[in-house]
Amino acid sequence: MEIGNLQRRYLDFASTLFHEGFLDNQFTQLQQLQDESSPEFVLEVVTLFFEDSEKLLDELSRTLNQQAVDFKKVDAHVHQLKGSSASIGAQRVKNVCVAFRNCCEEMNQEGCLRCLRQVRNEYFLVKNKLETLFALEQQIVAAGGSVPMMW
Amino acid sequence: MKGEEERLGGVELRVLLVDDSPVERRIVEGLFKSTGDMFQVITVDSGRRAMEILGLNEHKTESPDVVEHKVDIILTDYCMPEMTGYDLLKAVKEQNFDRTIPVIIMSSENEPQRINRCLAIGAEDFIIKPLQTNDVLRLKNYARRSAISPRNGTKRKMTAELMAENGATDRRPRLTGLAVA
Repeated sequence: MEIGNLQRRYLDFASTLFHEGFLDNQFTQLQQLQDESSPEFVLEVVTLFFEDSEKLLDELSRTLNQQAVDFKKVDAHVHQLKGSSASIGAQRVKNVCVAFRNCCEEMNQEGCLRCLRQVRNEYFLVKNKLETLFALEQQIVAAGGSVPMMW
Repeated sequence: MKGEEERLGGVELRVLLVDDSPVERRIVEGLFKSTGDMFQVITVDSGRRAMEILGLNEHKTESPDVVEHKVDIILTDYCMPEMTGYDLLKAVKEQNFDRTIPVIIMSSENEPQRINRCLAIGAEDFIIKPLQTNDVLRLKNYARRSAISPRNGTKRKMTAELMAENGATDRRPRLTGLAVA
Protein backbone atom coordinates (compact mmCIF):
# COMPACT_ATOMS: atom_id res chain seq x y z
CA MET A 1 0.00 0.00 0.00
CA GLU A 2 1.36 3.40 -0.85
CA ILE A 3 2.62 5.69 1.86
CA GLY A 4 -0.08 8.33 1.49
CA ASN A 5 -2.80 5.73 1.99
CA LEU A 6 -1.07 4.23 4.98
CA GLN A 7 -0.70 7.64 6.54
CA ARG A 8 -4.39 8.43 5.94
CA ARG A 9 -5.42 5.14 7.48
CA TYR A 10 -3.26 5.89 10.48
CA LEU A 11 -4.70 9.36 10.98
CA ASP A 12 -8.29 8.11 10.57
CA PHE A 13 -7.75 5.32 13.05
CA ALA A 14 -6.05 7.60 15.57
CA SER A 15 -8.82 10.13 15.17
CA THR A 16 -11.52 7.58 16.03
CA LEU A 17 -9.61 6.56 19.15
CA PHE A 18 -9.89 10.09 20.41
CA HIS A 19 -13.50 10.56 19.32
CA GLU A 20 -14.58 7.32 20.96
CA GLY A 21 -12.88 8.34 24.17
CA PHE A 22 -10.31 5.58 24.27
CA LEU A 23 -7.54 8.15 24.37
CA ASP A 24 -7.39 11.72 25.57
CA ASN A 25 -5.01 14.65 25.42
CA GLN A 26 -2.53 13.02 27.77
CA PHE A 27 -1.67 10.57 25.02
CA THR A 28 -1.01 13.45 22.65
CA GLN A 29 1.31 14.90 25.26
CA LEU A 30 3.29 11.67 25.31
CA GLN A 31 3.61 11.77 21.54
CA GLN A 32 4.88 15.32 21.76
CA LEU A 33 7.60 14.18 24.16
CA GLN A 34 8.89 11.67 21.62
CA ASP A 35 11.82 12.92 19.58
CA GLU A 36 15.16 11.85 18.11
CA SER A 37 16.68 11.50 21.57
CA SER A 38 13.74 9.32 22.72
CA PRO A 39 12.43 7.79 19.47
CA GLU A 40 10.56 4.98 21.21
CA PHE A 41 9.25 6.95 24.16
CA VAL A 42 5.56 6.29 23.59
CA LEU A 43 6.11 2.60 23.00
CA GLU A 44 8.23 2.37 26.16
CA VAL A 45 5.65 4.08 28.31
CA VAL A 46 2.74 2.12 26.86
CA THR A 47 4.61 -1.16 27.32
CA LEU A 48 5.19 -0.28 30.98
CA PHE A 49 1.50 0.49 31.24
CA PHE A 50 0.56 -2.90 29.78
CA GLU A 51 2.87 -4.76 32.18
CA ASP A 52 1.81 -2.77 35.20
CA SER A 53 -1.91 -2.97 34.41
CA GLU A 54 -1.96 -6.72 33.86
CA LYS A 55 -0.17 -7.23 37.16
CA LEU A 56 -2.70 -5.00 38.88
CA LEU A 57 -5.68 -6.72 37.26
CA ASP A 58 -4.41 -10.10 38.43
CA GLU A 59 -3.88 -8.78 41.92
CA LEU A 60 -7.36 -7.27 41.93
CA SER A 61 -8.89 -10.55 40.88
CA ARG A 62 -7.01 -12.38 43.62
CA THR A 63 -7.90 -9.88 46.30
CA LEU A 64 -11.57 -9.61 45.36
CA ASN A 65 -12.09 -13.34 45.31
CA GLN A 66 -11.00 -13.81 48.91
CA GLN A 67 -13.53 -14.75 51.55
CA ALA A 68 -12.81 -11.60 53.49
CA VAL A 69 -12.02 -8.85 51.01
CA ASP A 70 -9.37 -6.32 52.00
CA PHE A 71 -11.02 -3.26 50.45
CA LYS A 72 -8.13 -1.01 51.39
CA LYS A 73 -5.82 -3.18 49.32
CA VAL A 74 -8.29 -3.23 46.44
CA ASP A 75 -8.55 0.54 46.59
CA ALA A 76 -4.78 0.93 46.58
CA HIS A 77 -4.50 -1.17 43.41
CA VAL A 78 -7.34 0.70 41.70
CA HIS A 79 -5.74 3.98 42.68
CA GLN A 80 -2.53 2.86 41.00
CA LEU A 81 -4.37 1.77 37.86
CA LYS A 82 -6.30 5.03 37.80
CA GLY A 83 -3.08 6.99 38.05
CA SER A 84 -1.23 5.17 35.32
CA SER A 85 -4.20 5.11 32.93
CA ALA A 86 -4.70 8.84 33.46
CA SER A 87 -1.01 9.45 32.82
CA ILE A 88 -1.03 7.75 29.45
CA GLY A 89 -4.41 9.09 28.42
CA ALA A 90 -6.37 5.83 28.60
CA GLN A 91 -9.52 7.75 29.42
CA ARG A 92 -12.10 4.98 29.49
CA VAL A 93 -9.97 2.83 31.78
CA LYS A 94 -9.48 5.79 34.08
CA ASN A 95 -13.20 6.50 34.20
CA VAL A 96 -14.06 2.97 35.25
CA CYS A 97 -11.41 3.25 37.97
CA VAL A 98 -13.21 6.26 39.40
CA ALA A 99 -16.43 4.23 39.74
CA PHE A 100 -14.43 1.31 41.05
CA ARG A 101 -13.02 3.39 43.88
CA ASN A 102 -16.54 4.35 44.92
CA CYS A 103 -17.44 0.66 45.23
CA CYS A 104 -14.34 0.14 47.37
CA GLU A 105 -15.38 2.94 49.64
CA GLU A 106 -18.82 1.34 50.02
CA MET A 107 -17.11 -2.02 50.62
CA ASN A 108 -19.39 -3.45 47.97
CA GLN A 109 -17.87 -6.73 46.80
CA GLU A 110 -20.43 -7.34 44.05
CA GLY A 111 -20.01 -3.82 42.80
CA CYS A 112 -16.25 -4.19 42.84
CA LEU A 113 -16.39 -7.43 40.90
CA ARG A 114 -18.60 -5.72 38.33
CA CYS A 115 -16.13 -2.86 38.06
CA LEU A 116 -13.28 -5.30 37.71
CA ARG A 117 -14.99 -6.94 34.75
CA GLN A 118 -15.59 -3.53 33.22
CA VAL A 119 -12.08 -2.24 33.76
CA ARG A 120 -10.65 -5.44 32.38
CA ASN A 121 -12.79 -5.03 29.26
CA GLU A 122 -11.78 -1.45 28.78
CA TYR A 123 -8.13 -2.27 29.37
CA PHE A 124 -8.03 -5.01 26.76
CA LEU A 125 -9.93 -2.83 24.31
CA VAL A 126 -7.45 0.03 24.62
CA LYS A 127 -4.55 -2.39 24.53
CA ASN A 128 -5.83 -3.77 21.27
CA LYS A 129 -6.33 -0.28 19.83
CA LEU A 130 -2.85 0.83 20.83
CA GLU A 131 -1.25 -2.28 19.38
CA THR A 132 -3.08 -1.59 16.12
CA LEU A 133 -1.90 2.01 16.20
CA PHE A 134 1.72 0.95 16.67
CA ALA A 135 1.38 -1.63 13.89
CA LEU A 136 0.13 1.05 11.51
CA GLU A 137 3.09 3.23 12.47
CA GLN A 138 5.45 0.37 11.71
CA GLN A 139 3.82 -0.17 8.32
CA ILE A 140 4.38 3.47 7.40
CA VAL A 141 8.01 3.38 8.48
CA ALA A 142 8.60 0.06 6.69
CA ALA A 143 7.21 1.59 3.50
CA GLY A 144 9.75 4.39 3.84
CA GLY A 145 7.35 7.04 5.08
CA SER A 146 7.18 9.09 8.27
CA VAL A 147 4.41 8.89 10.84
CA PRO A 148 2.19 11.96 10.57
CA MET A 149 1.62 14.14 13.63
CA MET A 150 -1.89 14.08 15.03
CA TRP A 151 -1.86 17.62 16.35
CA MET B 1 38.29 20.54 42.23
CA LYS B 2 37.99 20.37 38.48
CA GLY B 3 35.21 17.77 38.49
CA GLU B 4 33.12 19.89 40.79
CA GLU B 5 33.54 23.02 38.69
CA GLU B 6 32.58 21.19 35.52
CA ARG B 7 29.47 19.82 37.14
CA LEU B 8 28.42 23.14 38.57
CA GLY B 9 29.37 24.94 35.38
CA GLY B 10 26.62 22.97 33.58
CA VAL B 11 24.16 24.43 36.07
CA GLU B 12 22.07 21.29 35.90
CA LEU B 13 19.55 20.92 38.69
CA ARG B 14 19.65 17.49 40.27
CA VAL B 15 16.17 16.23 40.88
CA LEU B 16 15.35 13.24 43.04
CA LEU B 17 12.16 11.82 41.56
CA VAL B 18 10.22 9.52 43.89
CA ASP B 19 7.23 7.54 42.61
CA ASP B 20 6.13 3.93 43.10
CA SER B 21 4.48 3.79 39.66
CA PRO B 22 6.87 2.70 36.88
CA VAL B 23 4.62 4.27 34.24
CA GLU B 24 4.55 7.63 35.94
CA ARG B 25 8.28 7.57 36.67
CA ARG B 26 9.03 7.08 33.01
CA ILE B 27 6.65 9.83 31.93
CA VAL B 28 8.00 12.41 34.37
CA GLU B 29 11.53 11.44 33.34
CA GLY B 30 10.48 12.12 29.76
CA LEU B 31 9.09 15.50 30.75
CA PHE B 32 12.39 16.46 32.36
CA LYS B 33 14.35 15.26 29.34
CA SER B 34 12.23 17.36 27.02
CA THR B 35 13.38 20.53 28.77
CA GLY B 36 16.90 19.95 27.45
CA ASP B 37 19.87 20.05 29.79
CA MET B 38 18.22 21.86 32.63
CA PHE B 39 17.78 18.86 34.88
CA GLN B 40 19.61 15.74 35.88
CA VAL B 41 17.13 13.20 37.23
CA ILE B 42 17.70 10.45 39.79
CA THR B 43 14.68 8.14 39.95
CA VAL B 44 13.66 5.92 42.85
CA ASP B 45 10.55 3.85 43.49
CA SER B 46 10.05 4.41 47.20
CA GLY B 47 10.44 6.81 50.08
CA ARG B 48 12.86 4.37 51.67
CA ARG B 49 15.13 4.44 48.61
CA ALA B 50 14.90 8.22 48.58
CA MET B 51 16.07 8.30 52.19
CA GLU B 52 19.06 6.15 51.25
CA ILE B 53 20.01 8.48 48.41
CA LEU B 54 19.71 11.42 50.75
CA GLY B 55 21.81 9.67 53.38
CA LEU B 56 18.91 9.83 55.81
CA ASN B 57 18.93 6.28 57.02
CA GLU B 58 18.53 5.28 60.66
CA HIS B 59 22.27 5.07 61.14
CA LYS B 60 22.87 8.61 59.89
CA THR B 61 26.49 7.86 59.15
CA GLU B 62 26.85 10.56 56.52
CA SER B 63 27.16 14.16 57.60
CA PRO B 64 24.48 16.55 56.32
CA ASP B 65 27.11 18.41 54.35
CA VAL B 66 27.77 15.42 52.13
CA VAL B 67 24.05 14.80 51.63
CA GLU B 68 23.24 18.34 50.49
CA HIS B 69 25.25 18.13 47.33
CA LYS B 70 23.60 15.10 45.85
CA VAL B 71 20.15 16.59 45.32
CA ASP B 72 18.85 20.08 44.57
CA ILE B 73 15.12 19.34 44.50
CA ILE B 74 12.94 16.46 45.59
CA LEU B 75 9.83 15.71 43.53
CA THR B 76 7.76 13.05 45.22
CA ASP B 77 4.43 11.33 44.76
CA TYR B 78 2.12 11.59 47.75
CA CYS B 79 0.47 8.15 47.72
CA MET B 80 3.10 5.49 48.12
CA PRO B 81 3.01 2.29 50.16
CA GLU B 82 4.95 2.12 53.45
CA MET B 83 6.43 5.60 53.31
CA THR B 84 4.19 8.27 51.83
CA GLY B 85 5.36 11.48 50.19
CA TYR B 86 4.20 13.25 53.32
CA ASP B 87 6.43 11.02 55.50
CA LEU B 88 9.37 11.72 53.22
CA LEU B 89 8.67 15.45 53.24
CA LYS B 90 8.55 15.42 57.03
CA ALA B 91 11.80 13.47 57.29
CA VAL B 92 13.59 15.84 54.92
CA LYS B 93 12.33 19.00 56.61
CA GLU B 94 13.24 17.68 60.03
CA GLN B 95 16.87 17.38 59.02
CA ASN B 96 19.29 19.97 60.21
CA PHE B 97 20.78 20.78 56.83
CA ASP B 98 22.64 24.06 56.42
CA ARG B 99 20.57 24.54 53.29
CA THR B 100 17.09 23.19 52.92
CA ILE B 101 16.22 20.92 50.00
CA PRO B 102 12.97 22.03 48.36
CA VAL B 103 10.34 19.29 48.32
CA ILE B 104 7.52 19.33 45.81
CA ILE B 105 4.63 16.91 46.22
CA MET B 106 2.66 15.38 43.33
CA SER B 107 -0.77 13.84 43.65
CA SER B 108 -3.65 12.84 41.44
CA GLU B 109 -6.08 13.93 44.18
CA ASN B 110 -6.90 17.61 44.36
CA GLU B 111 -7.71 17.60 48.07
CA PRO B 112 -7.31 20.95 49.82
CA GLN B 113 -6.74 19.26 53.19
CA ARG B 114 -3.94 17.18 51.78
CA ILE B 115 -2.40 20.15 50.04
CA ASN B 116 -2.51 22.33 53.13
CA ARG B 117 -1.09 19.57 55.26
CA CYS B 118 1.94 19.36 53.02
CA LEU B 119 2.44 23.08 52.63
CA ALA B 120 2.11 23.48 56.41
CA ILE B 121 5.17 21.35 57.08
CA GLY B 122 7.26 23.04 54.46
CA ALA B 123 6.52 21.61 51.02
CA GLU B 124 7.47 24.22 48.46
CA ASP B 125 4.65 23.31 46.14
CA PHE B 126 1.97 20.76 45.38
CA ILE B 127 1.34 19.66 41.79
CA ILE B 128 -1.74 17.80 40.55
CA LYS B 129 -1.07 14.82 38.30
CA PRO B 130 -0.79 14.12 35.47
CA LEU B 131 2.17 16.46 35.16
CA GLN B 132 2.64 18.80 32.20
CA THR B 133 5.80 20.34 30.82
CA ASN B 134 4.98 23.63 32.55
CA ASP B 135 4.94 21.93 35.93
CA VAL B 136 8.45 20.64 35.37
CA LEU B 137 9.74 23.99 34.11
CA ARG B 138 8.34 25.62 37.22
CA LEU B 139 10.66 23.51 39.37
CA LYS B 140 13.67 25.57 38.46
CA ASN B 141 12.13 28.41 40.47
CA TYR B 142 12.70 26.41 43.62
CA ALA B 143 16.40 25.88 43.32
CA ARG B 144 18.78 28.38 41.83
CA ARG B 145 22.45 27.54 41.62
CA SER B 146 25.03 30.08 40.64
CA ALA B 147 27.62 28.66 38.26
CA ILE B 148 30.50 29.40 40.59
CA SER B 149 29.33 28.18 43.96
CA PRO B 150 31.63 25.50 45.27
CA ARG B 151 30.72 23.17 48.10
CA ASN B 152 32.31 25.16 50.85
CA GLY B 153 31.43 28.66 50.30
CA THR B 154 29.71 31.08 48.01
CA LYS B 155 26.08 31.80 48.64
CA ARG B 156 23.59 29.94 46.47
CA LYS B 157 20.49 31.82 45.57
CA MET B 158 17.89 29.28 46.51
CA THR B 159 14.37 30.56 46.92
CA ALA B 160 13.97 28.74 50.20
CA GLU B 161 17.23 30.27 51.33
CA LEU B 162 16.07 33.74 50.42
CA MET B 163 13.06 33.17 52.63
CA ALA B 164 15.23 31.94 55.47
CA GLU B 165 17.62 34.85 55.20
CA ASN B 166 15.61 36.91 57.63
CA GLY B 167 15.33 34.21 60.27
CA ALA B 168 18.33 32.13 59.32
CA THR B 169 17.79 29.26 61.68
CA ASP B 170 14.03 29.29 61.59
CA ARG B 171 13.15 25.88 60.24
CA ARG B 172 9.66 25.67 61.65
CA PRO B 173 6.86 24.74 59.26
CA ARG B 174 4.82 27.51 57.76
CA LEU B 175 2.48 28.04 54.87
CA THR B 176 4.82 28.90 52.06
CA GLY B 177 2.57 28.84 49.03
CA LEU B 178 4.47 29.70 45.93
CA ALA B 179 7.29 32.07 46.73
CA VAL B 180 8.86 32.97 43.43
CA ALA B 181 11.52 35.66 43.39
